[in-house]
Amino acid sequence: MATTTTETVRLTIDGVPVTVPKGTLVIEAARQMGVMIPHFCYHPKLKPDANCRMCLVEIERMPKLQTSCSTPVAEGMVVHTATTVVNEAHKSVLEFILANHPLDCPVCDQGGRCDLQDFSHEYTPTTSRFLEVKRVFPKEYFSALIETQMNRCVQCLRCVRYCDEVMDVKALAPSGRGTMTEIKHFTTHQLDCEFCGGCVQICPVGAITSRLDLYEFRPWMLKRADTVCTYCGDGCHITIQTKGNDLIEVNSAHGAGRNNGDLCARGFFGYHATTHPDRLQSPLLRRNGELVPATWEEALEFVAETCIALKLKHGPDAFAGLIASRCTNEDLYVFQKFMRLVIGTNRIDGSARYGHINGVRALRRVQGTHRWTVAFEDIVGAEVLLLVGTNITETNPITGLKVKEAVKKYNATLLTIEALVPAIGTISNIANLSAHHFSVHPERFGNVVLGLIKAVVEGGLVAQTLTQRAPAYVEAISQTLRAIPWETLESVTGATSQALMEAARAFVAARRAVVLVGQGVLRTPGGFGVATNLLDLLLLTGKHDRPGCGLAPLAEENNDQGAVEMGALAEFLPGPSDLDDRAARERLAGLWKEELPQRPGATLMQILGDARAGNVKALFVVGENPIGSLPRAAQAKEALERLELLVCQELFLTDTARLAHVVLPACSYAEKDGTFTNTEGHVQAVRHAIDPIGESRPDWEILSALSVLMGYPIEYGDAKEILKEIRNLIPGYGLLGPAPATPRSDEAVVERYLREGYAEDVGARYQLTGAGSFDMAQPATSSAESDRRDAGKVKDGLQLTLVVGQTLFHSGKLSTRAKGLMEVQNAGSLGLNPSDADRIGVTDGDRVRLVNQAGEMTTSVRRLDRVPEGMAVFPEHFDEEARRLLTVSVDPVTQVPYCKSAKVRIERL
Amino acid sequence: MAMKFKAWLKTITFYEILVGMKATLKHLLHYRPITLQYPHEKRTLPDSYRGMLALLRYDDGTEKCVGCDLCEAACPSRVIRVISSEVPGEPTKRYAKEYYMDMTRCLFCGLCVDACPVDALGMTREYEWAVYDKRQLLLSKPQLLAIGDRSFPVREKRLELQHPNVAFFNVAFKFMPPKES
Amino acid sequence: MLREKYKDEIEQILSRYPVRRSALLPLLWLAQTEEEYVTEAAMKEIAGILRITPPQVYEVVTFYTMFNLRPVGKFHIQVCKSLMCGLVGSDVLLGWLQARLGISPGQTTPDRLFTLSTVECLASCGTGPMMQINDEYYERVTEERVDRILADLKRDGTSPLKSGPFILPQLAGSEK
Repeated sequence: MATTTTETVRLTIDGVPVTVPKGTLVIEAARQMGVMIPHFCYHPKLKPDANCRMCLVEIERMPKLQTSCSTPVAEGMVVHTATTVVNEAHKSVLEFILANHPLDCPVCDQGGRCDLQDFSHEYTPTTSRFLEVKRVFPKEYFSALIETQMNRCVQCLRCVRYCDEVMDVKALAPSGRGTMTEIKHFTTHQLDCEFCGGCVQICPVGAITSRLDLYEFRPWMLKRADTVCTYCGDGCHITIQTKGNDLIEVNSAHGAGRNNGDLCARGFFGYHATTHPDRLQSPLLRRNGELVPATWEEALEFVAETCIALKLKHGPDAFAGLIASRCTNEDLYVFQKFMRLVIGTNRIDGSARYGHINGVRALRRVQGTHRWTVAFEDIVGAEVLLLVGTNITETNPITGLKVKEAVKKYNATLLTIEALVPAIGTISNIANLSAHHFSVHPERFGNVVLGLIKAVVEGGLVAQTLTQRAPAYVEAISQTLRAIPWETLESVTGATSQALMEAARAFVAARRAVVLVGQGVLRTPGGFGVATNLLDLLLLTGKHDRPGCGLAPLAEENNDQGAVEMGALAEFLPGPSDLDDRAARERLAGLWKEELPQRPGATLMQILGDARAGNVKALFVVGENPIGSLPRAAQAKEALERLELLVCQELFLTDTARLAHVVLPACSYAEKDGTFTNTEGHVQAVRHAIDPIGESRPDWEILSALSVLMGYPIEYGDAKEILKEIRNLIPGYGLLGPAPATPRSDEAVVERYLREGYAEDVGARYQLTGAGSFDMAQPATSSAESDRRDAGKVKDGLQLTLVVGQTLFHSGKLSTRAKGLMEVQNAGSLGLNPSDADRIGVTDGDRVRLVNQAGEMTTSVRRLDRVPEGMAVFPEHFDEEARRLLTVSVDPVTQVPYCKSAKVRIERL
Repeated sequence: MAMKFKAWLKTITFYEILVGMKATLKHLLHYRPITLQYPHEKRTLPDSYRGMLALLRYDDGTEKCVGCDLCEAACPSRVIRVISSEVPGEPTKRYAKEYYMDMTRCLFCGLCVDACPVDALGMTREYEWAVYDKRQLLLSKPQLLAIGDRSFPVREKRLELQHPNVAFFNVAFKFMPPKES
Repeated sequence: MLREKYKDEIEQILSRYPVRRSALLPLLWLAQTEEEYVTEAAMKEIAGILRITPPQVYEVVTFYTMFNLRPVGKFHIQVCKSLMCGLVGSDVLLGWLQARLGISPGQTTPDRLFTLSTVECLASCGTGPMMQINDEYYERVTEERVDRILADLKRDGTSPLKSGPFILPQLAGSEK
């Protein structure tokens, strides 16, 4: 981004000379030198609109006052911001605004932090010349989460512009004209949008406020804690504001954190999850088959005694551990240390296993890094963005904002390979911004990637340097791809070879290209192969080592990346280094002053399998919920029922915790200190906002107390001490400040990969994929096509691919406890293409039955234009019933359980 | 000479002492008791006497308080705690769901009365608030309203739109006139 | 649905503009001539055709006073309330109309003959106060003239007091 040298301009503001880059606005230049020009409609994130007239300044040799928010600086400009004329202008603008603005500050939630209040105190006379009755809008119900008070509106249109320019949702409209302009949704409908809360945050007055905390506070009562959101891998900075021990609101200041102050519905409205009344208040111990409250001493002593007995009887490998990636790095680190040293087993795994590990393993294999080689800034600065299998605006909304910014503000070319089709809806859809969109069946994303690579190889677009450096590698790939004729490729992807060729050319032509790969790939069969192929694409086009280029696997849970780095996974030690890496083991043993267990680790599915076979006797589960996350076919419940000891550290009594012998109440992110590592590898501080609920304690403290009782104390004073140890342990971790340098790919690893690494599975990776049974002669939309042929006999139902995935308003099961988010979405409904819905004759809200050989479920239907024909989407957060339909297959390399889609028959009820 | 004589005269007649005790001697002659026999007789209090605090009502019996928390902010000794909320059934109308005054701490400075934007607080002339248990001085909203009711029998009239050219203040929107077009 | 009924017109309108959403106003006009007012369904459909969101269509409809969001009477009386007419007494005119028709701006008479509304400048500032009834101008309107116009309209459906006819180039040969 900063490759071009910026020209500078010299100007004088209030007698002080300043030098700013060319194109800076006068208001920004003034702000840089500490002069605050009052404004309502200007916001640095938005294009200047200059409608509020508040920021008028006097510029010499210009006939009239100028709006400083829309005037770019010019050489030699002389600006006065505080002359009599300017003050008069401020006075009259405010007088006009106050002619209609009600003086209801005492009952307005914005009172105390309101721009209009501040400016009025500073600039207005105390009386008004307007004697007319103020404008009154009849109150209309707006929405369950966002409240509008249009009488207070100053018509700066910041909310409307934010909704359009930044969020790309366009849900707000200024209806009417002149002084009667009011912000509305569509006619009298209640607001239906992304509920990002951006309008609430950006409103300079109290016209748009949050309904979740309406009238519950005054700004000066609130205590603030800067922390990190726990709902997805983006790692947004949030400021939790509390009154006493109550969570009042969450916001994020402009310019703060990786999200630059933007939030999504989960971040802005999802904060009540941690204070839900169902939170566990005290430890629970199973007595006579029932979980009953117990004291910490009883519970911990029971666990310690049982563990010691089981360890003596069955050895350490009869133990296993599972930890969720929602825990802090400190929790993850202490957990794996506890399992490895106190118990003495490597059999631990975490929820990064559900998919993120695929991306990490591919990165490690090809370029030797475990993190992105790009950062959010590179996404914004990219010329071409390739999005593969990621409904990014729903799964990682803030990374999605960076993509939107790149496309909308900096005209980047967007290539998308996604199942969803471009369609205008109530929430944004990244496919709408795409220049080359390939809509394919969710199991065939890899085929389009192959098509792109084939276009690169056969279009003569392979980088010269690579052909010289690794001719065998290029030849091997070309050869395997030559075996796939264009016709077959076209028929299984539904994309023409020209389209693929054009997309490939656009990709190659760009100087900075970022490839984002999401859950659609990482959580479906072959995910590891596709991620590796995408790295091949970067290698072939000579981009893998260019600055601003790279592959970025998107993490679903907030600390998936941290779980990898803390070694809380079967195959990694902290670092991460491989379990059998001798140097790393010695280093760790030296620091821990204890030998590490020798025997191999076990992944989630292996642990469950062993438990079912009776080989695992005791399981520690920290925040993880295998019964709730895996389909019934994985038989997690049967496995856990056979355990002799199941210890759960949980916030709530989950499906898994219900089976536990001991449930220990843990603190949520709002109650503990620590760090989270976001998807791009930034380690960010988590700070407690409220005191622990009930008797809950941070996870690491619980494990630490257990370790003492088991005779091998791992003790720390606080979370900072753990971080200190982690910094000693992992080379370079201590250097990671708030903005770490992105790692570069390791050329030695790349060299090894190009020489022989690729060969082991190049044949397998470069194969067309897709549900095994598909007919090569059928066009890509074969399922939809055959449905259409069967349209006449729909009475026995329609065959669809059911995809169970994440929605914008929820994250895992945790967010279903947040009352704000439940207002938006409180039950699962099946998203169906309107034409499919017509085929079985259902409209919004109708009940349907989904059947396959594994089971059946009933649900209601929601017609969604963006869902392609032949597909149905269902939110994973309400999947109690849907889990019955899903099957599970395990990746042969990375052991990832794939359980997100199934073939079903749908019929109307 | 005369000066010396005068001084001598003053010395022998204890003149300075008489001057100093002038008021005492005067009261000795014109005796009128000024100590009130308190429980039996009570003092007339000035109009601006700052006694017990009270919450007031409008003439139609509705509470004046809009739950804006400004009294809480103004109070120097943290007497007041307001828990405000939306009036059930009247969208966007704010009121104090709960209102507490810990009178053990009160300085009777009257800042809360000054801060109130709707004149919902008043200082009564009640001062007989000695209790055996300090906890009885933590007053809740019904108690404070009751004090207001007995001390301010004449209530202010409620205006739907208080000052048409300034603001309509905390009026639920169901009372608003319909939109023009 | 517009899309089926006016397939060719929509195609033709869309072909006129390089940017798709520029066709919004003509399409809304089409919807209004079809249904006499712009229905919610029509707004949604136009949003679908132009690939914008319904609130964006709604925003435009509410901005222009020529688009009606609810059914209007047979005669839609639009009184200019801008500055020039205001100076020469549009408020008197409006008051007279309100008294005569018994309705306030935005309302329709129970017999569904007259709808009264106030609009912004109708570009006849030299001859105020003025009003537009359906597509006809009535200028220098006085109270007596209002009475005559209303009576004429009730009786004949038209009034000789209207100004014009104005020949607008694009309207000259087309449908209206």
